Amino acid sequence: MRAFRRLLARIRNLATRRRGDARLREEIEQHLALQTEENLRAGLPPTEARRQAVLKLGAAAAIREQYHAEEGLPFLELLLQDVLYALRRLSKSPGFAAVVVLTLALGIGANAAIFSVVHAVLLRPLAYDHPNRLVFVGEDRPAAQITGDGFSYPSFLELRQRHDVFSAVSGLAGHALTLTGRGEPADTSTIAVTPGFFSVFAIKPLLGRALNDDDGQQGASPVVVLSEVLWRSRFGSDPSIIGTPIALDQRAFTIVGVMPASLRTPFFDQAEQVWIPLLQDPLFSHWIARPPQTHWMPVIARLEPGVPPHRMQAELGAFSAGLARESTAEQGWTAKAQPLQQVLVGDLRPPLLLLLCAVALVLTIACANIANLLLTQATSRSKEIAVRIALGASHGRIARQLLTENALLGLFGGVAGIILAWRSVPALVLLLPADLPQLRSIHVDAAVFGFSLALSLLSSLAFSLAPMLYAARSDPQSSLRAGGGAGETRGSRRARNLLAAGEIALAAVLLAGSGLLLRSFARLLSVGPGFAINHVVKAEISLPRFQYAKPAQWAAFAADLMTRVQAQPGMRDAAIAAPLPILDTAVTLPFSIVGNPPPAQGNTDIANYISASPEYFGVMGISLVRGRLFSTDDSLSTPLVAVISEALASHYFPHQDPIGRHMMFGFPPDGNVSREIVGVVSDVHDVSLAKSPGALMYVPFAQAPFWGGEVVVRSGLGTAAVAGAIRTETHAIDKNLPVTDIEAFPAALSASLAWPRFRTLLLGGFGGIALLLAALGIYGVVSFSVSRRAREIGVRMTMGASPSNVRRLVLAESARLALLGLAIGIPAALALARLFAALLFGIAPDDPLTFAAVALLLLSVTLAAAYLPARHAARTDPMKALRSE
Amino acid sequence: MKQKRDVQQGTLALMVLRTLDVLGSLHGYGIARRIEQISGDLLAVNQGTLYPVLLRLEQEGAIASQWGPSENNRRARFYQLTRSGRKLLDTEMRDWEQSAAIVARFFHVKAEDLA
Repeated sequence: MRAFRRLLARIRNLATRRRGDARLREEIEQHLALQTEENLRAGLPPTEARRQAVLKLGAAAAIREQYHAEEGLPFLELLLQDVLYALRRLSKSPGFAAVVVLTLALGIGANAAIFSVVHAVLLRPLAYDHPNRLVFVGEDRPAAQITGDGFSYPSFLELRQRHDVFSAVSGLAGHALTLTGRGEPADTSTIAVTPGFFSVFAIKPLLGRALNDDDGQQGASPVVVLSEVLWRSRFGSDPSIIGTPIALDQRAFTIVGVMPASLRTPFFDQAEQVWIPLLQDPLFSHWIARPPQTHWMPVIARLEPGVPPHRMQAELGAFSAGLARESTAEQGWTAKAQPLQQVLVGDLRPPLLLLLCAVALVLTIACANIANLLLTQATSRSKEIAVRIALGASHGRIARQLLTENALLGLFGGVAGIILAWRSVPALVLLLPADLPQLRSIHVDAAVFGFSLALSLLSSLAFSLAPMLYAARSDPQSSLRAGGGAGETRGSRRARNLLAAGEIALAAVLLAGSGLLLRSFARLLSVGPGFAINHVVKAEISLPRFQYAKPAQWAAFAADLMTRVQAQPGMRDAAIAAPLPILDTAVTLPFSIVGNPPPAQGNTDIANYISASPEYFGVMGISLVRGRLFSTDDSLSTPLVAVISEALASHYFPHQDPIGRHMMFGFPPDGNVSREIVGVVSDVHDVSLAKSPGALMYVPFAQAPFWGGEVVVRSGLGTAAVAGAIRTETHAIDKNLPVTDIEAFPAALSASLAWPRFRTLLLGGFGGIALLLAALGIYGVVSFSVSRRAREIGVRMTMGASPSNVRRLVLAESARLALLGLAIGIPAALALARLFAALLFGIAPDDPLTFAAVALLLLSVTLAAAYLPARHAARTDPMKALRSE
Repeated sequence: MKQKRDVQQGTLALMVLRTLDVLGSLHGYGIARRIEQISGDLLAVNQGTLYPVLLRLEQEGAIASQWGPSENNRRARFYQLTRSGRKLLDTEMRDWEQSAAIVARFFHVKAEDLA
């Protein structure tokens, strides 16, 4: 309490310090007068009386100083004094201040922007209750290098029964069903879940109830839970909605609840969605009968509070061992849980960390630049500092004042950077791939603000180091003795040269990184997908599976639609297929070759599967290698046939003719159907441009239809006309069918490259900034050095050096800097590139061309930046240079 | 260093309070003279350190000051103990005597006393 009162008094004194000091002065004067009188009375002569009085009193000034220090807040006062002094100094050299603040704003702003992405995607916990307890449970098969596969329904039921480490477990599978009944038919994101789903997220419904165990029983009546966003947009926030029916794929579901908007289903992130029991789903309800070896259903769970991760993994291990004892199909599989956030973020961590590293390098270069500027300043300020030291300022006091100045600069730069980031983050978000998790929550928030502020203070500390060390070492005597122009010590020159070389090294790292990404992106763009994409438009049509329940109906619909579309002018080249390579999720199925020995236990051969109408190969420009393509004669009543890709043929039929052989495969429930191979076609990139073409099995759409599919049309009519025609013809068959995801193939493929494009663009930008900053740094160092060496150059010229000699001298010095920087930067870049090799495509992390280009670029930029000062030096008038000083 | 000065200041404050307690109203010089008289050489040098102590005590409300005429008809500031100052003096004196007694006991202790 007393200490607190003292603090208050000190703060009060800060305002009233004059009064206290005046009192003290007055009292001391009074005291001296009385003492002098007394001394006079004692018989001392007047001057001696006064002198004795003063001696007896002690050092009055020191007493006042000490009183002041004790009664006020000297720290604050000094700070205020330093800040005011710094502001005065900065306002006197606005150009210098502007350069520093801008450089820093660029560095901090870029860091803040990238950090806001990293924070939203990687760091901020998921927006669920106790998100750290949410796990994704998958099945791994180490022998086949499969990780995180889904569960089969029977295995899931076992897991739900046997575990005692989870408080809730749920499977989930999502697709789009057609919502009709109110307004336009709409494709609606539908998540088929088991009843534990809402307990996993520990979320209470906004209205009505969540799904309960009865809803998950066989024979229960179909019910649906709406998301709040859908409830508001499509049902006008109707509070009496509970109990009313809606139609999903033309089947009635009773609405039992509305979930708050805060519940976003992981993996299926649409705001408008519905949840239905898995057993009521038109597709997945058939999959629950699939045998244990089909791993299709992702499982999420909530960990019981207080269960340590190793106990959970042990339980899951015991669970898998139990399953394996009961069924050979489960042998070799182990259940494993991972934090949900980690699974959601997936492989985004390396590219985001790469960007963060890159942007940190940019800031480091910016700091080196500023440090260099400050060093040149410190050299010209050395006289001021020498005077202050001579007048009694301690080194600590001077360092503190310099630090205050730099912290102020850092703060200005930081604030400008935050503003920059705040303005540019929305643009950055537009640039980001649309499927980025948490994309909508990326913004400059308190965490980003704090990060940037801390970063700016750290930066000011960093760029203060060199000038402060220099100031601390400077010797006031020699500084004062030296004339106005000199005063540059060898130490400071070496420091500035090292900083410049360091900048070049860092720029080399950044440029090498962006060069590698740029080259691999160019490689990626030059990859032919294996099919012709120009003038190809695709549109997705999906059939409601309650109304169109039988495969024969799907086949009839597809045939009808194809006849109609192909009859339109300019639309002859039309086909239907599912799924499309690259754009759709691949359907991977196991297969076996009739006549080959069965593979070893636990090993299954797998390949991707496409169901396509006969025209598909023509529309997509996939060429026939041998045998025949499908024809319109291939139907459900003729023998089943298949076409395989070259990759499959060469891998599984080495030195054999696959034509006429039989393979067993098919989309469930036709998993074990024998099909005759009638043709081999050229390879296509089926998963992504970055992955080499995989083994593909094609079947005629008429023999293996889907409930809808992708219509692809090659036509010169343009996307809008083609889309219009497809829609008209579809609605002529059934006006309730949604036609979605209409895209021209080139645009759709380009969207699949959003990530590589994003990181290439960003890293390229950072590389450019780094190059610019490094060039500025070199320019600054060389021109400063030239101005300092004017006298030396003058002497050389009087001794007979020609202007070109001088120019060469300066250029050689900067070339040495560049070579030093490259000698550090290139090995560092090589080491770093190896870490990020996974992000590269088609080139080695030590690609010699890239590194040679970077070295050459930096060397020439350095020489270019040094050229102006070199020319200036060459024009030195020796007489003038010698006379100055 | 700082530690030592604090102790001295604390002692000085106690002396000031006690002097005012005994002699009533006094100006700064008067206090200095009395303390010098009583304490011998302790305050002979550096009498000026008295004034920061006076200012601080007044700020804390232990003493109050007002203008008045000094012996030689100069204007001087006279200090006086306040009620809270008297209370402060009482507790400080008790504390001081206690500490002094304890320290004194330590000074007089002999090895055989502790056996």
